[in-house]
Amino acid sequence: MLGDKYVAIRRTRGDGNCFFRSFMFSYLEHILEKQDRVEVDRIKANVEECRKTLQSLGYVDFTFEDFFALFLEQLDDVLQGNETSISHEELLNRSREQSVSDYVVMFFRFVTSGEIRKRSEFFEPFVFGLTNTTVEQFCKSAVEPMGEESDHVHITALSDALGVPIRVVYLDRSSCDAGGVSVNHHDFVPVPGNLPSATGSGSESIDPFITLLYRPGHYDILYPK
Amino acid sequence: MQASRARLFKEYKEVQREKVADPDIQLVCDDTNIFKWTALIKGPSETPFEGGVFQLVFSVPEQYPLQPPQVRFLTKIFHPNVHFKTGEICLDILKNAWSPAWTLQSVCRAIIALMAHPEPDSPLNCDSGNLLRSGDVRGYQSMARMYTRLAASPKKG
Repeated sequence: MLGDKYVAIRRTRGDGNCFFRSFMFSYLEHILEKQDRVEVDRIKANVEECRKTLQSLGYVDFTFEDFFALFLEQLDDVLQGNETSISHEELLNRSREQSVSDYVVMFFRFVTSGEIRKRSEFFEPFVFGLTNTTVEQFCKSAVEPMGEESDHVHITALSDALGVPIRVVYLDRSSCDAGGVSVNHHDFVPVPGNLPSATGSGSESIDPFITLLYRPGHYDILYPK
Repeated sequence: MQASRARLFKEYKEVQREKVADPDIQLVCDDTNIFKWTALIKGPSETPFEGGVFQLVFSVPEQYPLQPPQVRFLTKIFHPNVHFKTGEICLDILKNAWSPAWTLQSVCRAIIALMAHPEPDSPLNCDSGNLLRSGDVRGYQSMARMYTRLAASPKKG
């Protein structure tokens, strides 16, 4: 079934950080291949917004700035033409390097937590439905700590905060009710305003360049044909 | 290693600035080793620990701040979530709920909050936990107060 639409799968480590790690590799790989400087400028602007969000929520700068710096460094390095530019192979190595990978995961966790808290009224019912706790508690116990698994709340928040659409293909039983055999997917599309510039106006469909495969409890990266 | 050192140095500077803002916490870094810290915290008011000064020791791992610091009480304390002999502390943020958003300073604040709000359902000190669970608040408070006087009160004269 998946073979009709996808050419390859890349497995990620299953330690509870798989969604963030998949997102990180998939995003950086996309930038490396496409050398999309417009997208890099766009996401950097969003990252600055996230920094302001955390500051306004009362986070102390030094608790998150190292993680932000490391992500921005990776962005610059996947663009070619700098002294520090890296190859695809080096990106793979870095992503396997715990000290880089974990810091980027933590960057995403801060961004996700900031977005959920900033729009706590919007996220509250989803959080409550998922864990029966307040937004505050949820962020402290299920978003910020390493190794806590991601759910649709995390994905929505990260996609919104960074303005990056994400497609998740669900290989679970969510499509069985329909009778026939099919594979569901859901596109997480950022709220308007944060979207990549090319898709700014109106309702034309967005083609997410990040596609993840969900099997209960785990996310991997999929490569569309 | 380098990252943790840099982070701890920033915390050190922050601690110097916060000294006035948070007089209940006195956090001190070891002169020769930035991975070793001690703290003196004041027992919160309207608790059996009021009037006491408690010493904590921090051992910070090289993977800090991705991993939590190890903290224990050096001063003896009678509290359901502190091991009576070792001073080990049962607190979620020191274990699975840790995140780099916490700092040594805010960990101290969390420990002070734990002193004021014990969680008798996950006790490290069962005697203390059982007193509270059986509803003997008076018994718990008088034991805790006694140890505060014995072990945590500044010696006079």
